[in-house]
Amino acid sequence: MNEYVILSFHAVIILYGVLLMTPIGEAIGSILVNKWPSTSTKRGRMLAGLMFVCTGGFTVSAHTLWMHNKLSEGGSVCSGSSILNCDGLIGNPDYNTVPFIGQPWGLLGMVAFCVLLWIVVVIAKEPLAFSTPTFLKAGLGATIAGLPVIGLLVSYEIKEGLICPFCTTAHIANIIAMVAFFVLFKMYESDEWAPELKKTRK
Amino acid sequence: MGKDWLELTSEIMNNLYRSEEASARGDAALIVISLFFAGLLVVAFTSNPIATGTKPGERAPLFSGKAYNGDGWETFVFDDLLTPEWTPNSTDDAPWIAVEFMDRLCGHCVSAASEVGDWSETYVKTSNWPGPDVLFVAVHVEFQGSSSRADIEDFRDSNGHTFPYFDDDGVGSFKDWDIGATPTYFLVQPNGIVAWNSGIQNLAWDAVSEESITIGDPNGDQRVKLNEAIEQITLSYGGATE
Repeated sequence: MNEYVILSFHAVIILYGVLLMTPIGEAIGSILVNKWPSTSTKRGRMLAGLMFVCTGGFTVSAHTLWMHNKLSEGGSVCSGSSILNCDGLIGNPDYNTVPFIGQPWGLLGMVAFCVLLWIVVVIAKEPLAFSTPTFLKAGLGATIAGLPVIGLLVSYEIKEGLICPFCTTAHIANIIAMVAFFVLFKMYESDEWAPELKKTRK
Repeated sequence: MGKDWLELTSEIMNNLYRSEEASARGDAALIVISLFFAGLLVVAFTSNPIATGTKPGERAPLFSGKAYNGDGWETFVFDDLLTPEWTPNSTDDAPWIAVEFMDRLCGHCVSAASEVGDWSETYVKTSNWPGPDVLFVAVHVEFQGSSSRADIEDFRDSNGHTFPYFDDDGVGSFKDWDIGATPTYFLVQPNGIVAWNSGIQNLAWDAVSEESITIGDPNGDQRVKLNEAIEQITLSYGGATE
């Protein structure tokens, strides 16, 4: 199967998450409401959307780890004459592992998106807990901490004159997650987080 | 004291057990850890990563820089010598690669220069060698003292060598190749997998079974030389056959 067809599977998961978080999320999220009633609220859709984004980030990171392994076997997984070329970056021993740790970047991505997903699931399960603002800050902090890492990886791409579409998809997922955590944090500070409590107070 | 500690631990555990927030964290952790390991298992079952290193069966570290080919110093990229799609059953003419880490000031390298030159001319099809071509590359390191590029040129030309001499000064590929002494020889499969390392002697890599094999010592001098390794390893599965 063409690598870009496979990439589109990851992209669709992330895109669905993004759409859930937008105003049209109410319409496209209706299929989730029966199974997950919380998605009938704006907060619920934001959290569900963020779960999809983190899951898409996780699957695309796992895919880059698979590519890393395949390239070490001597194969070719995503090469071409155009600027879009993963082999030249994921297969490049000078850039394909995390400095000091020596592990593939894909594994770091898997761990990072799992941590983000854990934070989102905890918030979704207990949105009114005292620890929720701490978790929101942790999610925002973790995604902001990902920016220098993305910067380093983009610098490798500029150096080699190549773009790795799979890596870029993971980077975009991190940036979307950062924006979503920020919006959630702002929402927490407003009455939108728990409108039912607002009604009770009135 | 012991009782207090026990009571405190028991209270914390009890609170954790009854706390809904802790339960949410635990449930979320279970979901995420399951997802993580499911992802790892899929990757593990569908790929077979090969470590980079210089033991037989590992992927030879890549290096690039300047090499002297007799006419001048040109850019040399080790990857360019490789044929990634090679398999043991290949019928194409993919060459194997012999890498010698040497220092022109090392006595053993000087005395070996003549036979290394002979081998580089023997293991080519044009010399009636029935096996695949073996490309030779010398990597010049500075273990004994400093050498200029002119010194390296002199050494190569005075020994009548026709293969490239790579200048490792400033590159440091000897660290990646784990070179402790010179001369050290490697035989690398066309796809970049180390087939033999003179530092490990009679252990070689069989590309067919994908496991280590023992090769013999035909001269009985207690050490396997590069030419003996080439003859035993490349001919054992024919190499280039067409």
